[in-house]
Amino acid sequence: MSGEARVTIRLEGVDKFFGGKTAGGANGGTLALKDISLELTEGEFVCLLGPSGCGKSTILNLIAGFDRPTSGEVLVNGTAVEKPTPERGMVFQQPTLFPWLTVIDNVTFGPRMLGVARCDYLPPARKYLRNMGLEGFENHYPWQLSGGMCQRVALARAWISSPGILLMDEPFGALDAQTRLMMQELLVNIWESARTTILFVTHDVDEALYLADRVLVMSARPGRIVRNFTVPGNRPRDIENLASDPSMMEIRRDVLRCVRDEVRKSMEHSTHDSVSV
Amino acid sequence: MTIWRRSAISILSVVSVLALWQLAGTLRWVDPLLLPAPSEVLQTAVFLAANGYQQVPLWQHIFVSVARALAAFFVAVLVGIPLGLLMGLNASLDAALDPFIQFLRPLPKIALIPLTVVWFGIGETSKFFLIFIACFLSVVVGASAAVLNVQRDRIRAAKLLGADRWQIFRFVIIPHTLPELFTSVRLSIGIGWTALIAAELVAATAGLGWMVLNAGNYLRTDIVILGILLLGIIGYALDLMLVLAQKHFVPWAGKDA
Repeated sequence: MSGEARVTIRLEGVDKFFGGKTAGGANGGTLALKDISLELTEGEFVCLLGPSGCGKSTILNLIAGFDRPTSGEVLVNGTAVEKPTPERGMVFQQPTLFPWLTVIDNVTFGPRMLGVARCDYLPPARKYLRNMGLEGFENHYPWQLSGGMCQRVALARAWISSPGILLMDEPFGALDAQTRLMMQELLVNIWESARTTILFVTHDVDEALYLADRVLVMSARPGRIVRNFTVPGNRPRDIENLASDPSMMEIRRDVLRCVRDEVRKSMEHSTHDSVSV
Repeated sequence: MTIWRRSAISILSVVSVLALWQLAGTLRWVDPLLLPAPSEVLQTAVFLAANGYQQVPLWQHIFVSVARALAAFFVAVLVGIPLGLLMGLNASLDAALDPFIQFLRPLPKIALIPLTVVWFGIGETSKFFLIFIACFLSVVVGASAAVLNVQRDRIRAAKLLGADRWQIFRFVIIPHTLPELFTSVRLSIGIGWTALIAAELVAATAGLGWMVLNAGNYLRTDIVILGILLLGIIGYALDLMLVLAQKHFVPWAGKDA
């Protein structure tokens, strides 16, 4: 990171309450996020790690503009997020491709909706498909491809609009272990050349440590950010030697302990009381 | 099972039943008045094709019925799909109309016959109305349900890629609902074909449904069976056409990625 990196994403004192109309939650709503503050600088790769149901996806939805915070501020490049725009891309756990469109039409969906000329969007689309190892599959339909290939198409579709920010919601969670490793390497390679700011939600500690500059660990519901780990080690990282790197082993142990504590709390929480607020 | 093997078994099964039926007639196992043999039904078909039934040629009975059913069916689809889609998109509209639709849909349409006669007389309008209302209700319900089944994350992905509300409707919701729309249209043509008989109970002078009912009064079971066979075969053919259209127009049906 350069000395004076620009802040791209900033959350300040964000609470998110779901359900009941009153803020007190008298009619049984859920406080999903409590006092979340975080900052991502331009080009940073940050992973959000935490037990399931802790509100990781809620944070992505707030930044994407699908949802508004109950209180606090969500700022992107200094302005409050109001609605989804192409400056923020998102990749979901499911590829969410359009099965009625071919691979190339899926990838170029964004530019076509924005009225970009064909000659302007086709070359970059072909370039991204090549980078994703999807050459020759342009005219296939998503249902003719494997899960990993679909997710690569989704990645190309999100990246072609050159978003400043890429939000990723457990994008590799549904893939098998081998494919997941390949996808992680692919993602890092492209990120290193594109330098998009990435906020990546996962519950896989090793995935987070391989990908991220920083790892934020969240608590059980209501979700808070309990720890901020800076991942040491120079890039490019090597998946195979990551496990034996002594500084990595230490941070891995710390992160694991921190996550396990939170998972345990969340399990106790859900067995002891069913009323959430 | 391969499609050839499946078809072979189906054909063999139909041929066996026909042969057994013929045998039952030829060997007089059953009274031909109750169940005329296929050969007799075939003779009746040839006779009616040449001489007509009750002064109306057979092809005209077929044509009248198909025209009635298809006209009402097409109008029902043209009105029902947009209305159903709107209901799926707009919860207030859905809340306003749903009680009426849910009340009318399970209502046996035959119960409406006296009212339709009072309202529209005994001409084609009342027949059209009976078939239309049956098709329409099933299409509306199918279309609004189809919209609600659109994957939320797909709409979100499209929004983030810059699609506006109209583009999301046109390029995401419509293609997403097409497979289900085809299914509800298929269901509705079956329902419409069923409603045809109820419609032709109303003072008709032609039509397959009327022919069956009328021939029953004269104990012409051969004509009754011929009519039933024709109704069944035409209904099957209409459904098959829609299945082929679905395969052609929405090859992604049932293949979610």
